[in-house]
Amino acid sequence: MEISREEKSGISIFRMIGDININSAPNLKISFDAMAKPEGIKIILNLKNVDYVDSSGLATMVEILKSLRKCNGKLKLTNLSAKVRGLFEITKLTQLFDISDEEDEAVNSFERFEDS
Amino acid sequence: MVKNIIPTNSRLLKKISKKLVKLLKKAEVDEDIIFDIYVSLEEALRNAMIHGNKLDIRKKIIVETKFEPDIIKISVEDEGGGFNPLKLSDPTLNENLLKENGRGIYLMKNLMDEVIFENAGRKVVMTKYLKVKHL
Repeated sequence: MEISREEKSGISIFRMIGDININSAPNLKISFDAMAKPEGIKIILNLKNVDYVDSSGLATMVEILKSLRKCNGKLKLTNLSAKVRGLFEITKLTQLFDISDEEDEAVNSFERFEDS
Repeated sequence: MVKNIIPTNSRLLKKISKKLVKLLKKAEVDEDIIFDIYVSLEEALRNAMIHGNKLDIRKKIIVETKFEPDIIKISVEDEGGGFNPLKLSDPTLNENLLKENGRGIYLMKNLMDEVIFENAGRKVVMTKYLKVKHL
């Protein structure tokens, strides 16, 4: 899996290419752990080019969410394929994660949240 | 029945599941059903490697696949200490949503038509009914 990170409007956007599974999920966690996490940090995980997330990948995203909550950070997931979204729905992780259809929508909702 | 004995190596996981996907695609099995089988097989192999064989490369995993026109049966057996499947907690309960583990078997049970455990939890047998145009 390839991971790139972009800073946009004060939001860290992670874009991944490939499956998030037993072999690649640790790389996502390493990338996340390596970044500074100031109070109120905002992160987007864009899954547009992710075909499949296994239970290791789901667990890693739960870990990231828990870690962000400790510094009042916010996490949004975007661009989930129908199949990947289905896995979040089965496991009811849709109740835990803020999921947007598009990355811009997530960025805008962060900005709206700041303005309000 | 096709039987494969593989070492405990997570790098082989994709190779095994992709091989089965190729066979299912060739048989023109419905794409959604292929995805369900793919996810379930990867989760079963992952469980066997991590929780069963504890990533011990000396231990093997037996994968058996029985593919018929309208049904596929896949079993994955590890050499670990086994577990009691009745003691699994429901990962979708509110109190478990933030837990990192427990979703693999839950996914398998939801995506396959039947999931049963044998040999004190060391072996999982998964069944899926197929919509095949022709073999």
